[in-house]
Amino acid sequence: MTAIPLVFALLAAGIWFAAIAERFASARRFPSAIVLAPLWQAARLLSQQRVRTEYPDALNWALAPLVYGALAVAGLSVVPFAPGLVVAPLDTGIVLWGACEALTIVAVFLHGWSANSMLPLIGGYRFVAIGLPAMLLSMFVLIAAALPAQSLAVGAIVESQRSMWNMVRQPLGLPLFLLLGLAISLRGPMDYGDASDLSGGTAAEVSGPHRLAWGIARLAMLTAFAAMGASVFLGGYLGPWLPGPAWLALKTAALLLVLTWLGCNLARMPAPRMMAALWLVLLPLSFLDLVIAGVEALL
Amino acid sequence: MTAADLAFYVLSAIAVVSGWRVFRTDSMVRASFLLMLSFIAVAAIMLMLAAPYIGMATVFMMAVEMMVMALFMVMFMMNPAGLNPMNMVHQNRLSIGAGATAFVGLTVAVLFTDLPHEKVARQAPVIRDLGHELLGPSMLIFESAGVTLLAAMVASVVLSARSGRFGPSDEGSRPPGLEPGGEPAGRIPESEQEDE
Repeated sequence: MTAIPLVFALLAAGIWFAAIAERFASARRFPSAIVLAPLWQAARLLSQQRVRTEYPDALNWALAPLVYGALAVAGLSVVPFAPGLVVAPLDTGIVLWGACEALTIVAVFLHGWSANSMLPLIGGYRFVAIGLPAMLLSMFVLIAAALPAQSLAVGAIVESQRSMWNMVRQPLGLPLFLLLGLAISLRGPMDYGDASDLSGGTAAEVSGPHRLAWGIARLAMLTAFAAMGASVFLGGYLGPWLPGPAWLALKTAALLLVLTWLGCNLARMPAPRMMAALWLVLLPLSFLDLVIAGVEALL
Repeated sequence: MTAADLAFYVLSAIAVVSGWRVFRTDSMVRASFLLMLSFIAVAAIMLMLAAPYIGMATVFMMAVEMMVMALFMVMFMMNPAGLNPMNMVHQNRLSIGAGATAFVGLTVAVLFTDLPHEKVARQAPVIRDLGHELLGPSMLIFESAGVTLLAAMVASVVLSARSGRFGPSDEGSRPPGLEPGGEPAGRIPESEQEDE
C-alpha cells in the first residue's frame, strides 16, 4: 500500500520534470521562469474556453485523455521502487505493460477519430500505422530482457541485473525500446499522431481543460515509460549508497532527459519511409536482440 | 455473495451488454472497440480464474486485433474514414439461426462438460505450466496455427500493397457510382488518372 503514493509522487514529479526539460531542450536556455512555466500554462489552459466540432463522438473524445493517463498509472503500478515495494507484484508484469502499450494506441486513435474533424482523423490513422509496429518490436526487446530473469515479473528482471545491466548485456534493447517511448508519448521523430505538420494532429481540435488533460496524460505516459525502461534496462532500484526509490527516480530522470533531447533534436521521416524502416530494419534488429539474449541464455 | 462473486457478475454484465451493443451501434469503429471492451471484461474473468498470462495476453491481443480490424474494415468499406453512420447488421434470418444454434450448442457443451472443481493453489506455477504445455505436447498445433496466421498476414499485405511486385494492385479498379452508371464515388487509381 505504501507504494501507491510513490507511484503518484513519481508521476507528478516526472510530469513536471519532463515539461521543464522539454522547454529547456527546445529553447536552449534556462530562464528562471521556466521552472514555473508548466504551472502557468496549466492555469491558462484551465481558464480557456472549449472548442467544439460538428457531431463529435463526445463520450470517446472525453474518455481518451482519461484512458491514456490511466494506462500510464497502470503501467507504473508494476514497477518496483525497492525489493518488494510495488503496487501490483504481478508474475506477468511486462505482459501488463504490453497491454498498456496496445491500449495506448487505441486511446490515441479514438482521440483523433472521435473529434470528427480531418486533421485529428489523419493523425489518428497515421499514428496507428506507425505505433503498431513500434509496439511489436518493443515486445520482442522486453521478452529478450525477461530471458535472463526467467520470469515475466518486472521485479525479477530488475534482480537479474545485479551483476550486469541489461543495457550492457543486450546493447540493442534500450535504443529500440526508446523508439517506442517516443511513439507512445507522441514525441519528436516518432510523433505521427500529434505532429505539427497536421496542426497538432489528434489534439488539433482540443483546447482548454481537455488539452491540459491530454498534455498531462502524454507526460504521464512518458514518465511511466522512463520508469519502466529504467527498471528493465538500467537496473531499476539497484545501486550503492542511496535507497532504492532514489535510484529509480534518478534513472527515470536520466531517461526523461534522453527522451526529451531525442524528441527535440531528431527529424521526423515521412510516414511511409518510417513504416518501411520499422518493418524492414528495426523489427529484424529486435529479432537479433532476441537471438543474442537466447544464445547468452544457452551458454 | 463474496467480492469475487460480485466482480464476476459485474464483469459478465459488461461483457454481455457491450457484446450486444456491438450490433446496435451505427459505426464500424465503435463496434470494434465495444467488442474489445467485451473481450477485456472476459479477460478480467480469466484473471480471476487464476489464468494470469492468458488474461493479460487477451487484453493485449484484443487491443491490437480490434485496432487492426477497425483499420481494415474502414479501408475495405465504402465509408469515408468510418465516420458515416451505417447499419451494422445484415442477412438477419441467417444470423439469427446461426446465433441461436451457437448459443444452444455452447450451453449444452457447458452443462454437459465435467469441468474441474478443485481450486488452483496460490503458489502453483501456472505460467510455467502453460509454457511447458504450449511448447511441449501442444507444440504442433500451436506452431502450425502461428505459422499459418503469419503466412496469411504476409499474403494479405502483399495482395493489398499498392506498390506490389506485379504492378499497382488497384489497376483497372473503379469505385462504383452513387447511382447506376454515375461518376465513381471515390478515388480513381493514379494509373488511370494519367491516361485522362
